[in-house]
Amino acid sequence: MIAKELQEEVYNCIKCGICMNACPVYKQLHVEGAAPRGKVQLIKKIQEGKFDISEGFKNLLYTCLLCETCTVNCPSGVKIDRLFKAMRAEVLKKYKLPLLKRIMSTVLSSDQLLPFCMFWGRTLGNPLMALLPKNGKIGAISFSKLPKFNGKPLMDQYPEIISPSGKAQGRVIYFPGCANNFLFENVGNSTIKVLQRLGVEVVFPKDLKCCSLPIFLSGARQMALSNIKSNLSAFSRYDNVDAIIVDCATCGAAFKEEYVHILGEMGEDTKEAQKVKNKVMDISQYLAKFDLKKYLQPLKGRVTYHDPCHLVRSQKIKDEPRALLKQIPGLDFAEMVGADVCCGGGGTFQLDHPDISVSITKNKIQSIRNTGADTVASGCPGCRLQINGNLGNEKIRVVHPIELLAEAMGKV
Amino acid sequence: MIRPEVIQKFVSIVGKDRCKTSPEDLLTHSYDASILEFVPDAILFPVSTEEVSRIMALASAENVFVTPRGSASGLGGECLAKKGGILLSFTQMNKILEINTENRYAIVEPGIVIADFQKAVEAVNLFYPPDPGSATVASIGGAVMMNAGGMRGIKYGVTRDYLLGMEIVLPSGEVMKTGTITAKDVTGYDLTRLICGSEGTLAIATKITVRLLPKPKARRTLLAIYDDIDDAGKTVAKIVEAGIIPATMELMDKTVIKAVEEAFHLGLPLDAAALLLIDVDGDDATIERQSPLIAEFCQGQGARNVRTSSSEEENVQLWAARRAAFGCIARLRPTCLIEDATVPVNQMVKAIKKVKEICERNNVQIAVLAHAGDGNLHPLMLCDQRDKEEMARVEKAMDEFVEYAMTIGGTLSGEHGIGVNKAKYLPQQLSATSLKIQRGIKNVFDPQGILNPGSFLEVSPK
Repeated sequence: MIAKELQEEVYNCIKCGICMNACPVYKQLHVEGAAPRGKVQLIKKIQEGKFDISEGFKNLLYTCLLCETCTVNCPSGVKIDRLFKAMRAEVLKKYKLPLLKRIMSTVLSSDQLLPFCMFWGRTLGNPLMALLPKNGKIGAISFSKLPKFNGKPLMDQYPEIISPSGKAQGRVIYFPGCANNFLFENVGNSTIKVLQRLGVEVVFPKDLKCCSLPIFLSGARQMALSNIKSNLSAFSRYDNVDAIIVDCATCGAAFKEEYVHILGEMGEDTKEAQKVKNKVMDISQYLAKFDLKKYLQPLKGRVTYHDPCHLVRSQKIKDEPRALLKQIPGLDFAEMVGADVCCGGGGTFQLDHPDISVSITKNKIQSIRNTGADTVASGCPGCRLQINGNLGNEKIRVVHPIELLAEAMGKV
Repeated sequence: MIRPEVIQKFVSIVGKDRCKTSPEDLLTHSYDASILEFVPDAILFPVSTEEVSRIMALASAENVFVTPRGSASGLGGECLAKKGGILLSFTQMNKILEINTENRYAIVEPGIVIADFQKAVEAVNLFYPPDPGSATVASIGGAVMMNAGGMRGIKYGVTRDYLLGMEIVLPSGEVMKTGTITAKDVTGYDLTRLICGSEGTLAIATKITVRLLPKPKARRTLLAIYDDIDDAGKTVAKIVEAGIIPATMELMDKTVIKAVEEAFHLGLPLDAAALLLIDVDGDDATIERQSPLIAEFCQGQGARNVRTSSSEEENVQLWAARRAAFGCIARLRPTCLIEDATVPVNQMVKAIKKVKEICERNNVQIAVLAHAGDGNLHPLMLCDQRDKEEMARVEKAMDEFVEYAMTIGGTLSGEHGIGVNKAKYLPQQLSATSLKIQRGIKNVFDPQGILNPGSFLEVSPK
């Protein structure tokens, strides 16, 4: 059963229902089982032995974006998302992960398979992808909107130590995440370029693994364990670093929130994870201490910002990315209505529940449209994929804030 | 238990997707915001009057119990399938059918969440005042059936005061209209207001017509801090006596303040004994005139500090915190039973003292919240429902408090309803004649007794 302290959480739910109208999924389905309150009550029954983990319960538990909106809105302070995450691990003791997730988790957690798949993905994937029918979809994303593989993994494009342009003002470790390493190289390049320009030495360890958040949030904690330990030990090799820089909201949430909890709940040592938690910074947080004005050239257009769940709720980072965008001269910043509402992607949620996912994303896109922005910035690859994948033919650019910042800094 | 072939007939009305019978669905529809639990046999999600009518006709023919349900945020088991049978959930019948700006009314389906509806009418500069603490959860259908009150009661009244008419389905399946869309209507008995507050025992509302007001131009929130809860209570009585009518006057004691502060970090003073949260709304001139006057009353009665909110954002935060107070209390203890006895405003100070004394004597942990302007007390009894002995003490304290409220001209329930738990007190307030008439009315609407069985009239002592 789940950790003792989490078991007690279910008794703090007084079923006031405030989580329901906060839950993006409930607001689409309007069925109590989809509501956080409903799931918490089922978990209570399971704990009390009055109900068994069932196929139906499993389906409900995975009909959840893990966007954490319920948790931050719960007046009773019930750690709803922690409860669900732990419960997913319990469910997997009885049921297997669906095939697609099992393949994905195996690939992401393996030393050899990931580079192997990515190599063939690059070689065959990009040409093959061009052959896919234009109106087909994977999950909630149109084929035509899938990103291309990087020509070369980001990790192979840089040396282990990347020197700054002038005298070193600081030293950081950079964690690229799978998304940047294999798909969104421009985000990683931008982060490195900005850091270099600001005189920060970047350490780019070559043995970093997938942060494994998609694996352990699917419930497959055991499968994620070796990656977690491997990353922690890679980080601990470097002394004298100001911070571990992450430019992916999800990886940041893994290091800052999930590792400590998951290791703790699995009865593993959390000392290293605790150290890392205190060192990890989102790129927007790290840049807050720099006076960027003097480096920035004007850009044109209007930008709006979408809060990734893993930044605004998991890490409580809300102002820093906006501050970055607002500093760019010439760029008009427009706040959208409901910027912190989940985009509906939810990692693999959009694969499992494309219909629910798309209906949530529609509202987000309408919100973006209403601002009149030509660009939407967001620090999460999942959100960018989801938003871009559902934009249709609209000419709205979807970027990471750091990409705009790097553009404003001009060529190095 | 409903026979499978009867379930099949219900399925033929709403389709397979909107008839749920899985154990997960049944369990997640077995509770409301109280500690009661009753598991239904099936849940139906109708989306039209026609479906509801066919469901009720079938239920009548087959003698199947039906209990209507909105968002299940009620506090007394009113929307639970107390005797099993069908639970009729309106969460998917939730459209706004019309907002009429010329005649200032709106027609909605019962499942719409109050706050969503309020937002929609405010977007066209109109205003739906009834504002229960649970407005972000509760449905209008539920609010109508419970005649929900809330925070703006002192100035704007309760749900019943904004109801113009309804389309209802009787237990027999017959569809009927009550009321009109006009502001005045004295044609026949006022069935609209009879059904409002009937706790879902007479008929099922499928369309609801409500009166709207022009949206107040502005509002301002005052926060008065007290070192003595009596002074806060006296302030309320003085303001009411002076003929000033703020939009809301909410009282929180120190335990509530602590729980709310822990959840929201608003900078509320943790050493205060009580606070009053007072809203004034209207045009700018009214606000400019009323708010200093109210501040003076607060100070005159010993408020140590009166703060005026500086922005609408701060207003929203303060009221979100007040809304969540019930939930926040669960940070202190797992279970929270909320009392709802309401007393004349000038008796409120005494009643708060009394309830504290009663709880202390019975060794029950208590926090006090009140819609103070209405004398609507919400003593929150903190406990753990797993502790049988403690729950017995809580029940005893409640019994004593209800009895006391009766002696000073109060009512059993101001706005939460009688439901299952308070039914035993009914004869303390209602005479045998009154109960006989009420049972007679129920019988006219529902001769078979299939609608919301196990409700207050049935379970109250005969």
